[in-house]
Amino acid sequence: MIKEVSAFVNSFDKLGYVVDEELATILYLMTSLQKPLLLEGHPGVGKTEVANILAAHLGTELIRLQCYEGLDIHSAVYEWNYQKQLLSIKIQESNQKTDTEKEKHIFGEDFLMPRPLLKAISGKTKSPVLLIDEIDRADEEFEAFLLELLSAYQISIPEFGTISAKYPPFVILTSNRTRELSDALRRRCLYHWVNYPDFEKELRIVHKHLPDINQKLSAQLVRTIHILRNKNLEKSPGISETLDWAMSLHALGKKELDEESFAMTQGSVLKSYSDTEKIKSAGVANILEGG
Amino acid sequence: MNRNYQSYESVTQSILGFAAYARSNELNVGVREAQEALAIASTGLIADKEVFRYALKSVFCSSEENTRVFDQLFESYWGQPKAFVKSRITMKNQSIMQKQMQRSLVLMGKGDSKEAKEEEAKNVSGANAAEQLRKTDFSKLSQIDSEYLEKLAVNLWKQMSRRLKKKLKRSTTKGRIDIRQTIRNSISSGGAMLELKLKHKKPTKNRLVILLDVSGSMDKYSFFLLRFILALRSHFQKIEAFIFSTKLVRITEFLKTRDLDQVLKILGTNTDNWSSGTKIGDCLRTFNDDFCKRALQGRSMTIILSDGLDTGEPELLANELSRIKRRTRKLIWLNPLKGMAGYQPLARGMKAALPEIDVFRSAHSLDSILELENYLADV
Repeated sequence: MIKEVSAFVNSFDKLGYVVDEELATILYLMTSLQKPLLLEGHPGVGKTEVANILAAHLGTELIRLQCYEGLDIHSAVYEWNYQKQLLSIKIQESNQKTDTEKEKHIFGEDFLMPRPLLKAISGKTKSPVLLIDEIDRADEEFEAFLLELLSAYQISIPEFGTISAKYPPFVILTSNRTRELSDALRRRCLYHWVNYPDFEKELRIVHKHLPDINQKLSAQLVRTIHILRNKNLEKSPGISETLDWAMSLHALGKKELDEESFAMTQGSVLKSYSDTEKIKSAGVANILEGG
Repeated sequence: MNRNYQSYESVTQSILGFAAYARSNELNVGVREAQEALAIASTGLIADKEVFRYALKSVFCSSEENTRVFDQLFESYWGQPKAFVKSRITMKNQSIMQKQMQRSLVLMGKGDSKEAKEEEAKNVSGANAAEQLRKTDFSKLSQIDSEYLEKLAVNLWKQMSRRLKKKLKRSTTKGRIDIRQTIRNSISSGGAMLELKLKHKKPTKNRLVILLDVSGSMDKYSFFLLRFILALRSHFQKIEAFIFSTKLVRITEFLKTRDLDQVLKILGTNTDNWSSGTKIGDCLRTFNDDFCKRALQGRSMTIILSDGLDTGEPELLANELSRIKRRTRKLIWLNPLKGMAGYQPLARGMKAALPEIDVFRSAHSLDSILELENYLADV
């Protein structure tokens, strides 16, 4: 393996995240080419966590922007502090400055409230990690705005001028694929599809988080999770469900997974009524035996 | 097609050659991607084949589907000639599978293979198979295809109802200025009205009434159309659904469970008229007499899914339709037969119904159902 890539793997391992060679390569590329990274995959496979760990690895700040329908520039980029501006106008009423000077004053940096995107490009000492979470939930207009930001790393504010990044951020975008993203955005980014981990890797993840869990229990649990993922459930269990489940079983002091302990803890894996019914009708014993 | 890195002299040329190869295989690779590939190689990642593959993959691919194609291309281009042959074989296998799927389509065509032959000629790759399945008539599907189509349909319908929701939400953000709220809001800024508050339009409830024909002649379609009704449920807060053949049955209650198998089971035990004859006029009269006032309230839209092959009196049908029309905003009739080439609405029932209908469309394939979105959007 290439030296830089294995450095990533080791460092992530120390920080408690099991990363495979492929993702490590891409993260290395992302930091060396200064390109945004688009992560797509099922919910709960640890997309957001990648950004957290990357920030810890680089020893820099993580700035997070959670997207939602109707997200606009005011809550994503910047907003003027209107109250403060008004107060300042009142205070300056009696002083002798000209109108242009006053205007310049109230549209100064002191009155600008930076939101995540502006914060991300105004890093003073180091490039931060910018996580734009669930970009598929934002509107298309916002996506178009991002295109501009991601190619030039600069934001123009009409009253103030253009701010360009001295230390461009490392950008990670995540998407759950509820909407197709535009080709233009995809092409600006490196792309990685995050799949459910295989048996070995998931077992390693469980042991990483719960070092003193019973070996037999963890193997049984991960196997069951893999069976459940093939059952076409409404809400397929992700890695976070695996960990939740492992923690619940561990907290209850269980040594192995049987029908009784399954019934006690199923709330941490099966997240809807119809899924619970489906598994019940398929027979819990069957599933535990590998059917 | 049979290109390999060995046919070039320098590393740079091989990499550019690979970019061109990927482009010719429908990956979205342009000049910028090629430049980045070179940049990657110059950082030293080319030393390890696997790492180099991962790196190029992240640049050349932009969706999960791409990544699968990429792995094959990479192996055939950068691999040893032996590996190259192997990947060719797997590609061949794939095309055999597609041919078989195609054959089943033709078999289900029941002699009327003109359309199916056309489809066969078009069949090239996996993506095309999906594209084509969307255009295929429901009555001409095999078991395997219909399972695949179902998956495809559920996805597309989900997207559709998401889009519909968005359209509705956006339109409610405009309104008149609410002076009272604006003044109240200005107190915190010392009386200067910085932000105008708007009076939002109260979101109107979308009402949709669907009447589905489940008579024998509609057998091939009714299953898919029922699925479609279920998918619509997630978008319309108020949906009233009925099935009819010789009798009208209200199924709104049963739609509350989302699981289609369960719905079918319930319908099977609660109705005795699945796949029997058709009396559209009679059924619509029952609808008008018993449910019309509750279900139709001016703003609602009515969709009738039927082939119009009626055994009752055409006058009765026309009459009842005009009664519905008076109480609904838009009356849409979807007829699966309309998808057939050369179809004319000559059946007595259909002919009588036509003057009363606002929109008359086909509903024989997935694409034709998706086109309905435009009409649903302005409810």
